[in-house]
Amino acid sequence: MRKNKLLLLISSAGVLVLLLAAAVEENFRRDWRRIQSAGRSEEGPIAVQLRQVVNPSLRVQDRCVSCHVAMGPGEQGVTGGKTLVPHKAVVHDPAEYGCTICHGGQGLATEKDDAHGDVHFWPSPMIPSDSSYAGCGSCHAALGVPNAALYRQQSAAFERLDCLACHRVDKRGGTVRPGGGGMEGPDLSRAGMTGYDKDWHAKHVRKKEESTSGPWTTAFAEVGEADRKLLDGFLATRVAASPLMEAKAAFHSSGCLGCHKVSGTGGEEGPDLTRGGEKDPGQLNFGAVQDKHTFANWVAEHFRSPSAVVAESKMPPVAVDEKEIEKLTLYVLSLRRRDVPGSYLPKDRVKATRFGEREFAADGETIFTAFCSGCHGRDGKGRRAPGMAAFPAVANADFLNHVSDEFLRTTIKQGRPGRRMPAWDSPTGLRPAEIDAVIGYLRAVSATQSKADDKPRFVSANAESGKRLFESSCSGCHGAKGEGGEGPALRNPVLLKSATDAYLIETIANGRRGTPMPGFTASSTVHRTYAPAEIESIVAFLRTWEGKK
Amino acid sequence: MTAMEQFVANLRAAPSRIVETAFRSGKPETDRTRSTFVFGNVFLHLHSVRTHRWSLRWTTTMGLGIASLAAFLITLVTGVLLMFYYKPFTEVAYDSIKDIHFVVPTGRFIRNIHRWAANVMVVCVILHMARAFYTGAYRKPREFNWLIGMGLLVVTLGLSFTGYLLPWDQLAYWAITIGANIAQSPREVTDALNITEYFDPGGFQRLLLLGSDMVGPEALIRFYLLHVMILPLVLGGLMAVHFWRIRKDGGLVKPADADQRAGTTEETVYPVFTDAPNRTYHLAAIVKGRTSQVGRGPENTVPSMPHLFYAELGVLMLTTLVCVLLGLISDAPLKELANPAVPENPAKAPWYFLGLQELVAFSAFMGGIGIPSIVLIGLGLIPYLDREKAGTGEWFGGPGGWSLVKQAMIVGFLSSLAIEAFVIHYGWLREWFPNIPQLFITALNPGTMITAVYGAYSVWLVRKYASARAGAMGLFTCFLCGFLVLTVIGTYFRGPNWVFYWSPSEWPKH
Repeated sequence: MRKNKLLLLISSAGVLVLLLAAAVEENFRRDWRRIQSAGRSEEGPIAVQLRQVVNPSLRVQDRCVSCHVAMGPGEQGVTGGKTLVPHKAVVHDPAEYGCTICHGGQGLATEKDDAHGDVHFWPSPMIPSDSSYAGCGSCHAALGVPNAALYRQQSAAFERLDCLACHRVDKRGGTVRPGGGGMEGPDLSRAGMTGYDKDWHAKHVRKKEESTSGPWTTAFAEVGEADRKLLDGFLATRVAASPLMEAKAAFHSSGCLGCHKVSGTGGEEGPDLTRGGEKDPGQLNFGAVQDKHTFANWVAEHFRSPSAVVAESKMPPVAVDEKEIEKLTLYVLSLRRRDVPGSYLPKDRVKATRFGEREFAADGETIFTAFCSGCHGRDGKGRRAPGMAAFPAVANADFLNHVSDEFLRTTIKQGRPGRRMPAWDSPTGLRPAEIDAVIGYLRAVSATQSKADDKPRFVSANAESGKRLFESSCSGCHGAKGEGGEGPALRNPVLLKSATDAYLIETIANGRRGTPMPGFTASSTVHRTYAPAEIESIVAFLRTWEGKK
Repeated sequence: MTAMEQFVANLRAAPSRIVETAFRSGKPETDRTRSTFVFGNVFLHLHSVRTHRWSLRWTTTMGLGIASLAAFLITLVTGVLLMFYYKPFTEVAYDSIKDIHFVVPTGRFIRNIHRWAANVMVVCVILHMARAFYTGAYRKPREFNWLIGMGLLVVTLGLSFTGYLLPWDQLAYWAITIGANIAQSPREVTDALNITEYFDPGGFQRLLLLGSDMVGPEALIRFYLLHVMILPLVLGGLMAVHFWRIRKDGGLVKPADADQRAGTTEETVYPVFTDAPNRTYHLAAIVKGRTSQVGRGPENTVPSMPHLFYAELGVLMLTTLVCVLLGLISDAPLKELANPAVPENPAKAPWYFLGLQELVAFSAFMGGIGIPSIVLIGLGLIPYLDREKAGTGEWFGGPGGWSLVKQAMIVGFLSSLAIEAFVIHYGWLREWFPNIPQLFITALNPGTMITAVYGAYSVWLVRKYASARAGAMGLFTCFLCGFLVLTVIGTYFRGPNWVFYWSPSEWPKH
């Protein structure tokens, strides 16, 4: 009995000690207790207690303020250590909106690693602090963002026209009136969100005429139409998140939308990216990622070499520099969605979802770079990627010179069935005006004109001899059955339907400069020179594929 | 005394009367009142009032049965606490475990204890079975309790297995997928016979387990219900019968000469029958044995309260200590969210089924159904084949004794290791003759080979010692060794595609 009593005593005492240890661990050694006990407000030390921001309509319950006390409601005055600093001034007061709505992470957790998501297999870690602006994407849809080149032009116009003399934008510029009276012009950092007087130029002019002294007489000069357009574009993207706007501009320069959908617009071939920033890092293969295994690094590596990161990816590498990869990564991180009640839904999101406003700018250049440049190249000169058929140079002047706008419209609308070129005439594709804008852009960069053809079919040559010629000179690039290879696939119903005889003859005869397609009427050491009748017979042979598969 | 005075007096006396009536025979302060207390208490009367001193020796049981019960009670308490937060729906199950792990005060601690107690329970139940076997405790009159104990083993494994799925992470998802495939293993035979279309017990078993073609919401709710309600109730019922039968079958098993070997009673212990022999024994007619002899008490017993209770509480607290300690230093695993599209490779069942998985890798039918059935039937038949008396209540009692067990351990380890090593090095029939019929492999595979060696060895023992007990000891020892070898190989030495690797660092990278 003594032995048993002793066993009971020792093991009970042991359990008691362990439970005490667990209780101490749970109640006294928590980081937030330590941090709070160092905190001081104006009234002296602050109470050590679990703090949280609760907003039921946003479904937010964030205990982040248990450590970041000074960011909590009414606690801005709390000091004591580097964790106890107030949030920088933002439009969305953290005391109302909570923290996770913008920053992600686990609001219910009270331990740093757990809350920030730096734990193994954590599905939705916090957005890294250097990519904070990605959080805006949870609710906001910035509208009318141009491509990077245009974005730069617009910013440059704003600087060049010296608007910063009176106006403040993103913490730059603006003159404070001497002797009080505030800023000369309004702060335009959020003009894209709050809206601004569309009649501003006329009003500025009137004000200048009315004034006899002071800044109005010297600081403002009339602005030309083209510059006004640039300024309007610039103001449209002033939503107090310029890094995100730059990122989005980079996205609209990379042609990703040609294969990927974002918010219901884009191609079908790649995965829908609408929530692409919410991928669970635990489900990703980090085999090819050399850096720290974070989602941001995965995305960046994926831009450098898509097929090394995602097995069997058909995405051509995004040929951009590291700085641009950074921007694109930020944009991908911003592709997230949070269901918020109507009263919290921002105007821009409502405009995008209910009124069909576009997130990309309406000019042809932006649409071309946002949708087409991934394959056809930013300059429209085509692209090559290992293991993929060459992508045609659609901005080639030799090509555009011989086709009508109608041909281009049909091609864009119906795509190339069986090839990677999708049909854009779909509810998730482009609208007619946008397609026309792209065509307009192609015409502008190639300095060509639409070439109407009132007699699309006139060739009546012998297809049999054309077949022989095709096999000897064309099949090397276009494939023995016209299925494509180095050159585009010619045996394509949409191509054969919309291509006129004149266009085909011209292309074979004169080739396409800047591409491997030679002109077959020129003398050459590598191929035969064809007579016009021979070229017609080739066209006749191509026509035999029409209507047949 | 007026009615009012009476009322006041009653009121003042109420507290002491409540205590009095609660204990019925007064506070349990003397051996006699303690005995009546145990006798009259619904929970305590599962114990006999007095306990033989042989039963209290640590070497008699090692406390393994009580440790199993203790582990069960710990899982019960922690499990109920976890139920406050756990949500058995695939969309939120993983999140709720994350909440328990990260947010709920002490949630991580409770979950860790629950997980460790479950593992401690599996281990204790297996060791308890080994104890009962090696001390011959299954022999008459305890045969049926041995069968109940086997039921308890199966339910314990079932409880542990059903709990495995609930976190809904990758580990859980694929372990249960493997487990369900083991349930489907009769298909190997029906497929080979080409009758799966008409007669598919394997598919039915799997469907019954999962409620669907794959592990999904139906499986989760099934496993949850089994885990928190059905299996605990079954286990509770079986435990009640198990404990009750210990009493009715004459307490714990003792050697015939236990009285002499236990020595004499301490002076302080109160003899039971000499104090108030003024009773008639109404039910004496149905009491078996010779215990109710007037004038002579079973003098080698001591009152269960407090002697047995100290031992039981000591084991309970020791088990708690182990579980709490493990829970404090080691977190229960939680991998990423279950993803049916990304199979784990290797996907492994819970550790106690890895021996089976190792066998399943050789032949699904034999590993999943054939050999487990042989083992269970064999274990169940032991008490009915071994009708001997020699060595009951002694560790390794019976012909051959400890030296036989040592020899059986050598045979058990060497033969299973040798066969495994041969297969890992040289492959098996499928590698040599790719077109061999599956039924041939089902019948002749490393698993059945090991089983056959063990069987042949025990038959040899039966003949050598002319004793069924000797054969049973050899077979049981071999079974434990084989279980250990296969489980260790399955746990530590099998990598992607169930290929043998000396360590996970040798596993091929993506």
